[in-house]
Amino acid sequence: MSLDLNYCNVSKVFGAGGKNAVQALNDVSFTIKPGELFCLLGPSGCGKTTLLRSTAGLETITTGKILYGSKDMTAIPPFRRNIGMVFQSFALYPHMSIFENVAYGLRVRKRPESEVKEKVAKVMELVGMTDELRRNPSPSGLSGGQQQRVAIARALVYDPDILLLDEPLANLDAKLRRRMRAEIRRIQKATNITTIFVTHDQEEAMAIGDRLAVMRKGVVEQIGTSDELYNAPNSAFVANFIGKMNFMRAALLTRGECCARARIPALGIEIDVPETSVHVPESVREGAAVLVGARPEQLAISISRTAGSIRGRVNIIQHLGQFVRYEVGVDPALSRQTFEIDMPGVVPGVAEGMEVAVALKEGMGALYEAAEGLNE
Amino acid sequence: MKARKPDSAGTPSVQRRMLQKDLTPYLVFAIPMAFLCLFLFWPLATTFLRAFMRSGNKFNLGKLGFTGFEKFISSSLYRRSLLNSFIVGISVTGFSLIIGVPMGYFVARVKIPGKSLMLSLGILPVIMPSFIGAFSWIILLGRQGVVRHFLNAALAPLGLELPTIYGMFGMIFVMTLTYYPFVFLLSHGAFSSANALLEDAGTLMGADRWRVLRTITFPLVIPSIGAAALLVFIRAIGNFGIPAIIGGDQYVLPTLIYFRVNGFWDLNGASSIAVVNVVITGAVLWYQKYIVSRREYETISASHVEIRQHEHPAMRIIAALYCFIVLLVSLAPQIVIVVMAFFEKWQGLFPEGFTLANFSRIPKNSSSEFLNSLLLSTLATLLTAILGSIVAYITERRRPKGAALLDMAVMAPFILPGTVVSVALLSAFSGKSIIPLGGTYTIIIIAYMVRRTPYVYRSVAASLTQLNPSLEEASTIAGAHWIYTFRRVSVPLILPGIISGSILTFSTLLQELSTTILLYGAKTRTVPIQIYGAVADGKLGEASALSVILLVVVFAVVYATNRLQGRDLSSGFKM
Repeated sequence: MSLDLNYCNVSKVFGAGGKNAVQALNDVSFTIKPGELFCLLGPSGCGKTTLLRSTAGLETITTGKILYGSKDMTAIPPFRRNIGMVFQSFALYPHMSIFENVAYGLRVRKRPESEVKEKVAKVMELVGMTDELRRNPSPSGLSGGQQQRVAIARALVYDPDILLLDEPLANLDAKLRRRMRAEIRRIQKATNITTIFVTHDQEEAMAIGDRLAVMRKGVVEQIGTSDELYNAPNSAFVANFIGKMNFMRAALLTRGECCARARIPALGIEIDVPETSVHVPESVREGAAVLVGARPEQLAISISRTAGSIRGRVNIIQHLGQFVRYEVGVDPALSRQTFEIDMPGVVPGVAEGMEVAVALKEGMGALYEAAEGLNE
Repeated sequence: MKARKPDSAGTPSVQRRMLQKDLTPYLVFAIPMAFLCLFLFWPLATTFLRAFMRSGNKFNLGKLGFTGFEKFISSSLYRRSLLNSFIVGISVTGFSLIIGVPMGYFVARVKIPGKSLMLSLGILPVIMPSFIGAFSWIILLGRQGVVRHFLNAALAPLGLELPTIYGMFGMIFVMTLTYYPFVFLLSHGAFSSANALLEDAGTLMGADRWRVLRTITFPLVIPSIGAAALLVFIRAIGNFGIPAIIGGDQYVLPTLIYFRVNGFWDLNGASSIAVVNVVITGAVLWYQKYIVSRREYETISASHVEIRQHEHPAMRIIAALYCFIVLLVSLAPQIVIVVMAFFEKWQGLFPEGFTLANFSRIPKNSSSEFLNSLLLSTLATLLTAILGSIVAYITERRRPKGAALLDMAVMAPFILPGTVVSVALLSAFSGKSIIPLGGTYTIIIIAYMVRRTPYVYRSVAASLTQLNPSLEEASTIAGAHWIYTFRRVSVPLILPGIISGSILTFSTLLQELSTTILLYGAKTRTVPIQIYGAVADGKLGEASALSVILLVVVFAVVYATNRLQGRDLSSGFKM
């Protein structure tokens, strides 16, 4: 039976009291469901690894509680938490054979030899390493992908309650990374162990996770499925971290029950945004500066100027298979960002260096609080 | 899959286990701390107090004074010794740099044959006991020395005469030949691992070879050379064997300490001298740190770009000749000792009276000394290995509060001259001390441990920094208690570090003289003591035979372990 995992007001301060105190986790509370494959996503330094290591007990949290199921694990040392963990560097033991590496957790638990053999064989079959187990070489003779599989087998062999994966794919090349993430999902679903997967790669997180938590500066910004995070990001940061978001300067006109109305001066248009797409705090007054966000596919370019469009210059055109991405520099009155605009195909007559008209598609756009670093 | 439920907390057995778990780290940390407090801090504190006491053993405020230090003004012997120590320390450092840096550069950067052999031979003077080098130079340059004899005959028409080996010239000469390898090996390391791309960039920007050397290469290797110079100075100023054997009527601080203790049993006076000796070393160390901290250096990193070598024939000949001559001169003592061991005397051009008696006398005269040396060195090495490894593990991995202090405490004896450590231990544990240890095996083993723990500590700490912590974390996660992790994961992976530190400890303890000389009793004589005695009695043949056996054992131990670990001979000694 799988366990759920609960974080209650977890905070972690490194060097507490000192001059260089760093708040790595700030009042984090959420729940991971039993058997879920949960991704912690965020830029480096956001606290995702600290949260993972705290879950393992490798870091001691400053305040708050971490519960496995209903059991408070906060004060339990890591070696008595019955967890499995796969490290970024794999951390396989060079002085042990593959078999002994995988068997390590069982040896620690003083299991009888027959059980060790049986369990190692079973878990190696699960990760698809039966042949290698028969030859049983030293782990340093294995390829990156194989080492990864051994590391996963070693973490699973003693039936841990929780499985923790710390950027497990970071040391693999791009092609292998895509194959291994499918493998990890298959293995996790086969064992149904509640799993946390830490990564800074949003594509990886969206591909593998049942749900994702986007972290920033020690705070969980948003939790949801890939679909929810992509289509309904609740902050400018999440919107720009999960996929690309183009932000336009705007002013909040009115805010009603069902929708809000904003004006984009540079385009000379006013738009109505449904309340579900309004991510502006109640405190923001009418008339204040806000941002209108649009995904690359929610904008369009054309050669001739139409009403509600603004001029821009095409910097780069990239053909990316299903669509063509135009990077367009727009009038700073609209945005200081370079826009990324995805069109279903090549727009005839548009070449790099040309001037085009940029317009927001009808009914598109979400409202965000003006945030530092995105558009001042 | 079924999740294994961990034992529910609260049952008596679990509680007991938690209690055990909570105490073990403290217990394990307490042992090295207790050892250091009892055998390093307390003795050093006692020494410091004694240094300010006029007389007696009982501490008494009324007895406090500067009598011990006033002698450095009033007594010409003290003044002379202090001056001598300075002269020896500075000249040996200077000459070692002059000899060692070019050699390091030549071996690293000029295409000459036999480089790995040169590196292996270059380390020999450091591995071999320095006092053996000193007495073999007596054979070569002593009053009736063969080389002196020969050279004086050659120099006579010019009206020149070689100074005798006894005195300042001899001390500086022999110490330079003993310690230049530190400069040679460290500067060789720096010259051969400096980033070649930086130099290539200089060349491409139009700098000629000399300019590149002056403005790029040299500034990059300065830190390594500075470290080597410091090492040489500390060793030179703390060396006892060489001035004891060839100092003649010229004393330096370590021999003066010996003189006070051995001649007058004046521990208070010896403590004053020891304090002065430590202050000098400390001041130099502080000055070096100050200089290094003022300048920012790019870390020298190994690059994949091969460093270009000089191939000009003239350069190659000069380099090869230079290295050959330096090696020949610095290895002459070892060669002489081996020859001398088989002869009765050597006073003219050739040794006279071939004999095996020097060796055949050993079982009768020196078997207990050999047993003592083996016993003391082995026991001390084992204990040092355990102590050093635990302290390294604590400071590197568990990082308790005060880890930096522990680090400093362990490393302190590294800069303390052997005679100072001995005086400290004598001050605390001889005579009517609370724990009387005078004349026992124990006090020698403790002195050895105190002096050599830095070797193991450094070596193990270096291995640990290279060991990814996630290897140990993986074991913890898998359910292993930290002691299990230490035993099954950490120790096997840092074993090379433990072994090389232990070998360094063992091979240097076998030849240890400066500490033992003040601590040995009738029953605890060691081989170096026996050799020292034989030299003092003028029995050079017997001393040579003993030395040969010592050299062979030390060399065999070092060579065998390096072969086992697949490294070259010099790697362990660059500390």
